[in-house]
Amino acid sequence: MNGMPLIPAGVNRCSKRRFAFWMAAVTAVLVWGVYAMFLIWYKGLNQTRMNDAYGFALWIWADLSVIALGGGAFFSGFLTYIVGKDKLANIINFAVIIGFICYSSALLILTIDIGQPLRGWFIFWHANVHSMLTEVAFCLSCYFAVLTIEFIPLILENPRLAKKPFLNHLTHNMHGVMPIFAATGVFLSFFHQGSLGGVAGVLYGRPFAYREHVFIWPWTFFLFTWSAAACGPCFTILGIWLTEKITRKKLVKQDVIRLLAKISGWMIITYIIAKTADTLYWAFVTAPSRGFTLMDFYSSPTYNIGLLFIEIVLCGFVPGLILITRKGRENAFLLMSAVILAVMGVSLNRWVMVLQVMAVPLFSFDDWFTYMPSWQEVATTILPVAYGLIVISLAYRYLPVFPQEQELNPID
Amino acid sequence: MKEKHDYERARRYGMVIDLDKCTGCGACMVGCYMENNVPFKPDETNKLDSINWIRVYKLNNGKPYPETEICYLPMPCMQCDGVDLHGHSPCVSVCPAVATDYDDDTGIVSQIYTRCFGCRYCMAACPYHARKFNWWDPVWPADMKKALSPDVSPRMRGVVEKCSFCFHRYQLARNKAYFENRQNEPLGEDDYQTACAQACPTGTITFGDLNNKAHAVHQLKTSPNAFRLLERLGTNPKVYYLTAKNWVRRQGDNYLTDEEPGKLKQKR
Amino acid sequence: MKINRRNFLTYTTAAALGGAAGTLLTPVPWKLMDDAAIWTQNWPWTPVPEAGPVSYKPSICTLCPGGCGIYVRFSGNRPVKIEGMKEHPVNKGALCPMGLSGLQYLYGPDRVRSPLKREGKRGEGKWKKITWDEALAAVTEKLASLRKLEEPQSVACITGMEGGTLPSLIGRFLTVYGSPNLMRQATAQDAGAQAVFLTQGKQGTPGFDIENADFILSFGSGMLDGWGAPGRMSRLFGARNTAQRFIQIEPRLSDTAASANRWIGINPGTEGALALGLAHIIVKESLYNKHFVETFTFGFNDWNDEAGVAHTGFKALLEGYGPENVSRITGIQEALIKSLAREFAGSSRPIAINGRGKGALPGGMNETLAVHALNALMGNINKTGGLYVIPELTYAKWPDLGMDGIASRGMRQPRCDGAGGDLFPNSRFLLNRVPTLINTTKDGSPVEALLVVDANPMYTLPDTAATRKAFERIPFIVSFSSYMDETASYADYILPDHSPLERYQDVPAPAGMSHQVISLAVPVIKPLYDTRHTGDAFIHMAKALGGFIEEAFPWNGYEAFLEDTLQGHWRILKKKGVVEIIETPAASDRFTFNTASAKYEFYPTARAGTGKRDSDVLPAYAPAILDGDEKTFNLILIPCDSIRMAGDHMASSPFMTKTVDDTVLKKQMTLVEINPATALKLNLEEGGKALLKTPKGKASVLIHLYEGIMPGLIAMPRGLGHTAYSEYLANKGTNINELMGPIEDPASGLDMAWGIRAQLFRV
Ligand SMILES: Nc1nc2c(c(=O)[nH]1)N[C@H]1C(S)=C(S)[C@@H](COP(=O)(O)OP(=O)(O)OC[C@H]3O[C@@H](n4cnc5c(=O)[nH]c(N)nc54)[C@H](O)[C@@H]3O)O[C@H]1N2
Ligand SMILES: Nc1nc2c(c(=O)[nH]1)N[C@H]1C(S)=C(S)[C@@H](COP(=O)(O)OP(=O)(O)OC[C@H]3O[C@@H](n4cnc5c(=O)[nH]c(N)nc54)[C@H](O)[C@@H]3O)O[C@H]1N2
Ligand code: SF4
Ligand code: SF4
Ligand code: SF4
Ligand code: SF4
Ligand code: SF4
Ligand SMILES: [Mo]
Repeated sequence: MNGMPLIPAGVNRCSKRRFAFWMAAVTAVLVWGVYAMFLIWYKGLNQTRMNDAYGFALWIWADLSVIALGGGAFFSGFLTYIVGKDKLANIINFAVIIGFICYSSALLILTIDIGQPLRGWFIFWHANVHSMLTEVAFCLSCYFAVLTIEFIPLILENPRLAKKPFLNHLTHNMHGVMPIFAATGVFLSFFHQGSLGGVAGVLYGRPFAYREHVFIWPWTFFLFTWSAAACGPCFTILGIWLTEKITRKKLVKQDVIRLLAKISGWMIITYIIAKTADTLYWAFVTAPSRGFTLMDFYSSPTYNIGLLFIEIVLCGFVPGLILITRKGRENAFLLMSAVILAVMGVSLNRWVMVLQVMAVPLFSFDDWFTYMPSWQEVATTILPVAYGLIVISLAYRYLPVFPQEQELNPID
Repeated sequence: MKEKHDYERARRYGMVIDLDKCTGCGACMVGCYMENNVPFKPDETNKLDSINWIRVYKLNNGKPYPETEICYLPMPCMQCDGVDLHGHSPCVSVCPAVATDYDDDTGIVSQIYTRCFGCRYCMAACPYHARKFNWWDPVWPADMKKALSPDVSPRMRGVVEKCSFCFHRYQLARNKAYFENRQNEPLGEDDYQTACAQACPTGTITFGDLNNKAHAVHQLKTSPNAFRLLERLGTNPKVYYLTAKNWVRRQGDNYLTDEEPGKLKQKR
Repeated sequence: MKINRRNFLTYTTAAALGGAAGTLLTPVPWKLMDDAAIWTQNWPWTPVPEAGPVSYKPSICTLCPGGCGIYVRFSGNRPVKIEGMKEHPVNKGALCPMGLSGLQYLYGPDRVRSPLKREGKRGEGKWKKITWDEALAAVTEKLASLRKLEEPQSVACITGMEGGTLPSLIGRFLTVYGSPNLMRQATAQDAGAQAVFLTQGKQGTPGFDIENADFILSFGSGMLDGWGAPGRMSRLFGARNTAQRFIQIEPRLSDTAASANRWIGINPGTEGALALGLAHIIVKESLYNKHFVETFTFGFNDWNDEAGVAHTGFKALLEGYGPENVSRITGIQEALIKSLAREFAGSSRPIAINGRGKGALPGGMNETLAVHALNALMGNINKTGGLYVIPELTYAKWPDLGMDGIASRGMRQPRCDGAGGDLFPNSRFLLNRVPTLINTTKDGSPVEALLVVDANPMYTLPDTAATRKAFERIPFIVSFSSYMDETASYADYILPDHSPLERYQDVPAPAGMSHQVISLAVPVIKPLYDTRHTGDAFIHMAKALGGFIEEAFPWNGYEAFLEDTLQGHWRILKKKGVVEIIETPAASDRFTFNTASAKYEFYPTARAGTGKRDSDVLPAYAPAILDGDEKTFNLILIPCDSIRMAGDHMASSPFMTKTVDDTVLKKQMTLVEINPATALKLNLEEGGKALLKTPKGKASVLIHLYEGIMPGLIAMPRGLGHTAYSEYLANKGTNINELMGPIEDPASGLDMAWGIRAQLFRV
């Protein structure tokens, strides 16, 4: 067994030294983040610059964003296993890894973000069924378990592990049941993406966030799921593109990417139309009924009406329109611009639905609330990025992540 | 299952705060600190990390000298009844761990420090900034621990706290009533008073059961000068304010330019 | 299977993972999780207050001269809260933030816990703990040696509140020791007392029956900012009936002004002119109480003295104060002056009150006389809703003093502050003059030893730099303070007093009360630390000095002294805590005055004397000459008060400071208020940093734009800028006394400063 290669057969990987160098650099960043994380656990949340007005800040944004971006996993799974877009099997591994990273990061951030991490489990034990956050916690944890299960067979495909008969069988069987997990994941994802949207949307004390309801769910519930499904795949595409740039290799065939981009484009367009309708209803019906005009919400230098334009037009309609046109998808520059805009758009949406909600003054005698994160908050927010790079690097190096890699990069 | 709260018949403790009487002296804040073991730090000038269960805001009419007017507005927790008066106050409905709850007997929104795990979702939900987070571990210098009241437990860092309408006083009053064999009678106004109402030297704060005709608040809340803060959000606060000044009233909620405070009631 | 490095790793990893998975199936991790949560709920550093039976002990709050009745709530033997006493005649249950946070003074980090002797340089903060015997012996020795040198008058003593018997005990000590130099910082109440003496010939303080007045005209008195007895004032405001009108006149919209029915902005320092202007209208339109003025007053009309010399009367003085002129001086519109005068005179029980802000500064005598004259014009003297005189308490007779030559000679020396001398015959003490007098003495200091009791002159005296310089020259300073205040931290010895809740103290009628109320503060708790009642300390020192000094103090301690002094009242006070003396003067006595003319004197003959012209005697308005030239210092700085901050007696508690808005104090800096229009001209922005300069000093401040202040003025809160005390108070903002100097009132020598010229630069 000794001497079995660690690296999958038929592919080229960089030298050990080079890899070690890269890993050391990323690990340094990781250690910085871990240090900040321990500071926060040890000394408490006074290490942040959050305050009683800004109770939710950078982290909750990061959380919502990574989960939205990790949405590529559930939506690709949905398309591959349920809708039957077989082509997408070529990126599903990568999508699952991205999802795994995003969701594990989200869980980690949550344990940093709470004032009493050792009591974090009360959210399960003393669960309040009315709370969107309870729904988030349950779905998030379950879906993370599902992603882990989805990730395991891939890990087991490492050549050295795959040699072990037991593990080999396990992999095989797991692959067999994967559609069931994928379906479970899709269901869970649909709910927790939605409940994350609900987190802000149910705040009837915050007219900036509050949205009218459909049954028990505010509109943001659906919009969040929709936008995650729409923009998550863009993040997967972005990840693939970056990996290709860094490895200087083609890893996925263009038609696969284009298919994903096309689906994403239609999702974005439909989403942004719904979002526009929602915004109009909110601006002209919901807000005025509480004494606010639209411009009351955009009267600060930071939070001005330009944000709404950027979110809806520049990062919504524009990438959507690019991606639904063949020309747009086939032009590499346009394609990647659209992908980046879409990723920015969904992140901006999460930013607005977390930070701007806190910033808007509710009393005419209050001013806009401002907030600037501390280095500890920034470091712990960058931590998942470093962690993600490490996981992707390891996975790429040791696991057969891209089924088309061999074909696209024949070793002579 | 929780029993349905009978909005009309049950006790609903509330306050009426007469803004035209408030001098901004701050005695209510200090009375509350002492009563409820509220912590303090060497620097309390960042009001966004300073724990106050009741904060006295200073409003002004925005006019130049010498037409300027100011008005002080004390703001405790509004003990919101929530939309449709079901006790789903903005904060209670969001707390994932039921660390804050609506008491159907009194209408008081509780806070359980040992249950709270500090997610701060309730703070994001409360439009009145009534909820305060313990960013630090509290420190009582020198012998100051000796002045802590045993009726209210000191909080640890990482949890949220807020005005409780001095709920411990309610419990003490109930106990007393029980020992005096009055448990079946409603509590009198004097049996249960909050520390801030008691501390207020000008009698600005009136406290009692809004549903009890024998309590002053029952009548006071119906004054044409009465209003509630951010009423239009549908939070249904149990803290009412009185003022004869329209500019003050206007600042108590949000209005479009063509809307007039006090004339919107029928609309909602 | 061979075990080598690689598979070793593989197997241990597998074992660890398996182990971890297996453990999850046991109760261990779940139990640990639960234990961890339980631990966070019982952190040993989060205190659990001990419960005990609840009880209440009555006493009196002595943190300010307000004299409010309190109940101290106990949990077992621990005081845990202070609440108002509903049945006390002064406050009827109301308390101010200071009184409510009284326990923070008792338990706080500022307490001096034992007698201390200075070790390092003065003010360096190095102390040696000493015993009470050592401390008292050291002070007694110094006093004995100064007597031996036949210089007892070089011992001076500064006391805080005048009320109560402790200052009398100390006064008796100084007298028999041979020093006339007992001093206290004067307040608006002292100016009022002098006005009462000048116009009515009575020793006592003015009392205002605000409860029963129907028109209250306040010349800048911060009735809700700490003026008079703050507990009483807040309570009165809350109980005010709608028929009462309350008009506040001051250049800044203070909290008092905000609560008034009407606020009238006025040019600072011109209140005296406005009072005369109102009197002008009232006289011109014949709205005054003719019966009273004709029957019971003197000097209203022009008159001739015994020598036949013609003198001008008050009426003639008023001729110069027509509305046009007064409008120009005060900046108030003529029509408003007229209507205000008519409204005042048209009310059935109008009352005019003065003493700016908390009344911390005496103000000019003429201004006070002019305001009193308004009351006299309406005949509102010694009657319901009017101005009463609260006579000084005549306590029981103490044994006569036997004094030796040294003591008698010492007592005949002029006072070190010039009070009672030729220049200021009607003033009893002028502490404000002392720093200058010491600093201008060629060599040595007229004060060789200074005893400071219940006072903190190094913080409260205007012109902190000059005060510090003067104190540097005093060779021996003893503080009796319970707290490590600025003066205590500069002293050579500290002999700490008990804190208020640990000691006896009698409290006579607080400032502004319309009748006499004597209350008794009793110890509700045994002293926490190694402290001693200052009364006991003085009795001890007297006994140690021996001879006739010892004989003057036949009491074995302060409590015995107090009992003996209060005599008949003692029993009632011990039982009820309070004696209320409501002496409604008989109609016939009401208008008996002890002046030379036996009338109320609009022309205070006691001020007349050789070389004094009528215009010096009558309360003419003359603007105070502010320090600094108008060109360089183009703004005027005025102090402002807030009930949330202690300005003088005592410092703010941590809880008081916690209530202070971030528009007053931000981090460690004071915000000064300035009108946005003025700020615009100076290019200053909200929250911006600025340098504030006055002829006395400079300070870094932050800017707060406030529409409620007259353009051209800057207001700075009093009570910040402590350098001593603990981190809960020290080094927060600026002490306004560093920027202001005293202005001697030529008539009384009292400090009449109400502001100073200033400049502000953006930095
Ligand atoms: N809580 C508390 N209460 C206290 C005390 C305390 O320390 N704490 N101290 C007690 C003591 S020792 C005293 S002496 C009393 C009484 O104290 P007061 O006599 O009432 O006080 P000042 O400090 O002189 O006043 C400053 C005020 O005068 C105003 N002002 C300044 N310049 C002018 C001017 O030119 N014209 C007019 N009209 N107004 C002007 C300012 O706006 C400000 O409001 O308070 C007592 N009460
Ligand atoms: N900055 C500023 N300066 C002022 C004023 C102001 O408002 N602000 N006001 C002016 C006025 S009105 C006055 S009356 C004077 C007051 O001037 P001071 O008479 O000097 O009054 P305080 O500063 O209150 O000083 C009282 C000090 O006595 C100590 N002390 C407190 N309790 C006791 C006790 O029981 N026993 C003993 N032995 N010591 C005790 C405390 O440490 C406290 O610092 O200040 C004047 N100067
Ligand atoms: S005021 Fe805020 S904390 Fe209080 S009940 Fe309402 S929402 Fe909850
Ligand atoms: S911070 Fe505490 S009380 Fe607030 S929502 Fe979270 S767990 Fe509930
Ligand atoms: S009701 Fe009690 S807890 Fe609430 S603000 Fe008043 S004193 Fe504080
Ligand atoms: S104690 Fe009363 S008067 Fe003072 S600030 Fe509070 S409510 Fe207003
Ligand atoms: S007004 Fe004075 S006596 Fe009354 S509570 Fe306040 S500090 Fe004490
Ligand atoms: Mo004073």
